[in-house]
Amino acid sequence: MKGLHGIIFSYEKHNGLGELTAGRTPSSVPFAGRYRIIDFILSSMVNAGITDVGVVLHGNYQSLLDHLGSGKDWDLSRKHGGLRLLPPFEQTRGLDGARGKVEALAGVRSYLADIRQSHVVLADSDLIINIPIQDVYQAHLASGADITAVCTSSVDSEGDVTFFRLDKSGRVKDTLFPLRDRTGCHRSLEIYILSKELLLELVDECMSHDQVSFRGAVLQAKADSLKIQSYVWDGYAAQIRSLNEYYRRSLELLDPSIRRELFPAARPVHTKERNDASTYVDPAGTCCNCLVADGCTIEGTVENSIVFHGVSVAKGAEVKNCILMQDVTVSRDAVLHHVIADKAVEIMDARTLMGHDHYPMVIAKGSKV
Amino acid sequence: MKKECIAMLLAGGQGSRLYVLTSDVAKPAVPFGGKYRIIDFPLSNCTNSGIDTVGVLTQYKPLELNSYIGSGQPWDLDRLDGGVHILPPYMQEGEKGSWYKGTANAIYQNIGFVDMYDPEYVVILSGDHIYKMNYGKMVESHKAAGAACTISVLEVPWDEASRFGIMAVDSADNIVEFQEKPKQPKSNLASMGIYVFTWKKLREFLINDEADPDSSNDFGKNIIPKMLSAGEKMIAYRFDGYWKDVGTLESLWDANMDMLSRGDLDLLESSWPIYARLPAEPPAFIGKSSLVEHSVVTQGCEIGGTVKNSVLSHGARVEEGAEVSYSVLMPGVTVRRGSVVRYAILGENCMVEAGATVGENPENCDPEKWGVTVLGPGTAISAGETVLPNSMLNRDHKEVSR
Repeated sequence: MKGLHGIIFSYEKHNGLGELTAGRTPSSVPFAGRYRIIDFILSSMVNAGITDVGVVLHGNYQSLLDHLGSGKDWDLSRKHGGLRLLPPFEQTRGLDGARGKVEALAGVRSYLADIRQSHVVLADSDLIINIPIQDVYQAHLASGADITAVCTSSVDSEGDVTFFRLDKSGRVKDTLFPLRDRTGCHRSLEIYILSKELLLELVDECMSHDQVSFRGAVLQAKADSLKIQSYVWDGYAAQIRSLNEYYRRSLELLDPSIRRELFPAARPVHTKERNDASTYVDPAGTCCNCLVADGCTIEGTVENSIVFHGVSVAKGAEVKNCILMQDVTVSRDAVLHHVIADKAVEIMDARTLMGHDHYPMVIAKGSKV
Repeated sequence: MKKECIAMLLAGGQGSRLYVLTSDVAKPAVPFGGKYRIIDFPLSNCTNSGIDTVGVLTQYKPLELNSYIGSGQPWDLDRLDGGVHILPPYMQEGEKGSWYKGTANAIYQNIGFVDMYDPEYVVILSGDHIYKMNYGKMVESHKAAGAACTISVLEVPWDEASRFGIMAVDSADNIVEFQEKPKQPKSNLASMGIYVFTWKKLREFLINDEADPDSSNDFGKNIIPKMLSAGEKMIAYRFDGYWKDVGTLESLWDANMDMLSRGDLDLLESSWPIYARLPAEPPAFIGKSSLVEHSVVTQGCEIGGTVKNSVLSHGARVEEGAEVSYSVLMPGVTVRRGSVVRYAILGENCMVEAGATVGENPENCDPEKWGVTVLGPGTAISAGETVLPNSMLNRDHKEVSR
């Protein structure tokens, strides 16, 4: 069968998200008021017409399972194909989860062998993007490349990031990580398209050589023997790999031009639907420059903030430059600046919590302050 | 498979008193309260009451309603056994089969559907009321009383009683007389149009009523009086929560405003959720220069201007410098910069171009001439145009009289 099969990696890696990932994988960290990070790449796949998606899981994935359910919110609850959740079910050597993408794929080798489609798109689950993957696929077919790698010319990023050096034709000549001098380089967005056969071949070959890393053993080692073509995407893309990045990228959504890129009408971002009524803004409250999900009651002042569903901000409270995740309660006269309050945090009367623009204060899920 | 209780939801009404708002859709599909359509209320009540089999009787302009209900998944009514079923009128052998002649005839024509589940009790609901109610409790009381029929009633002010169907009851709340819009009401208990019947009894009465050529095959006009005169045990079930018939433009506007005040109708209260089918849209954005007061906003909204005492449904946009007050903006409405919308209901996807004025505050207007301004779905108002209070335009920009 012609077409693309999606594989999303959602296994524990070292990440810089601190307390936000104490009880969840990075892919299920709440983002943009009503989503989990994985929704973006998953919706991009679904919007590109991909009907079968496997999510490779490891580690603390309970919250992700809860979010994805049967996949029906992404139209992926199907008789054939649809969403498949893939905890490692075949012997892998890493006891603490996969050490690299290749090892993660080897852990689901028999699933890969049963893929119905001719091609596979691999993607990380910590990427915030809304990309027409069908265009990448068309480019892949047109270029005759063995592997197409999506990358961006913006090289600023924190954390463990992969860089490419491209030749004039856009072929990936070298893969680098980490990299100090990034001039002239492209940053990989960790979306790769290749044929199913090549994928199986590479997984088998690498595993026989005890090589676990896709970027090391494939992209770096085979730059000459395989034609690895770049696909440069200079639309919105954020790899959420540190708390600062999370905070900055969240508040960036208050810019209408960024929202237009991330939420184009033609490619809706799907998520698990909650049943909240519309948000109510009381005459005593003010709410400006905010992204506000449904189900909130705003009676205090909320400015420059991202407010998830079910949040309530009581009279006299002041919330500025904050991210309040679902069901957070801010009681009377509390003051919060530069705070990331995780799910169901409760801030009692008249508490004052201040972070800084470059050092947001994180309050762990369910805490009572 | 046998069910103890199923619900039949009458959703075929044209809703002619909603005029332009129902020019393309049946009344139950009219948007309400920011996220909902009217039919979400009875459907969600069913689910929350533990009723998992619902027949929805459609007739008038059913397309949007059908696609909205779909598999019933948002209301958890996509069930292997039971679930939600759309029941349009259909042809039968020979030349038989007809449109639903009345509410009772609609159920009569679907006796076969009800029989499939062989229920003890059938709840009859209508698709034009806004309320949260536990039908399960009503069925319990029906069972306990051993009644043939239980009618849900609401105490209304005595001076309004003559606008309703009134149930006169004895000391044990047995219904002794039914008066349709009486000049001299014998009680102030108004029927809410919600009935529980013992199916065996109802089935009998439906068949007899169908054979009666003088009957208009209506529950209120025919079935209820016939049951009463036959001496069947009929009980009034008192309901004291919020309930509103949103069959007129004024009552639809009122009910939206009632919801804002979060008194008896608090949709944010989560113990009895109302479910809806919604498009995937990002959270609402409330901009830097905006002012939002005593209003609700919904996902997909973009607000740059001033919004007071209003209901903004998903995807509604109010640009910078625009002002919306005491209004209901249905899904996808855009109000461009410098426009003023007051005391108005704007149907789905209306476009108000820059600098237009729609509606007026009652205090700035001759009371004789004032009324809520209504724009039908898809109406476009050009820049600088004025739409007077109490007027109503359809999508072709033609004035429609009430």
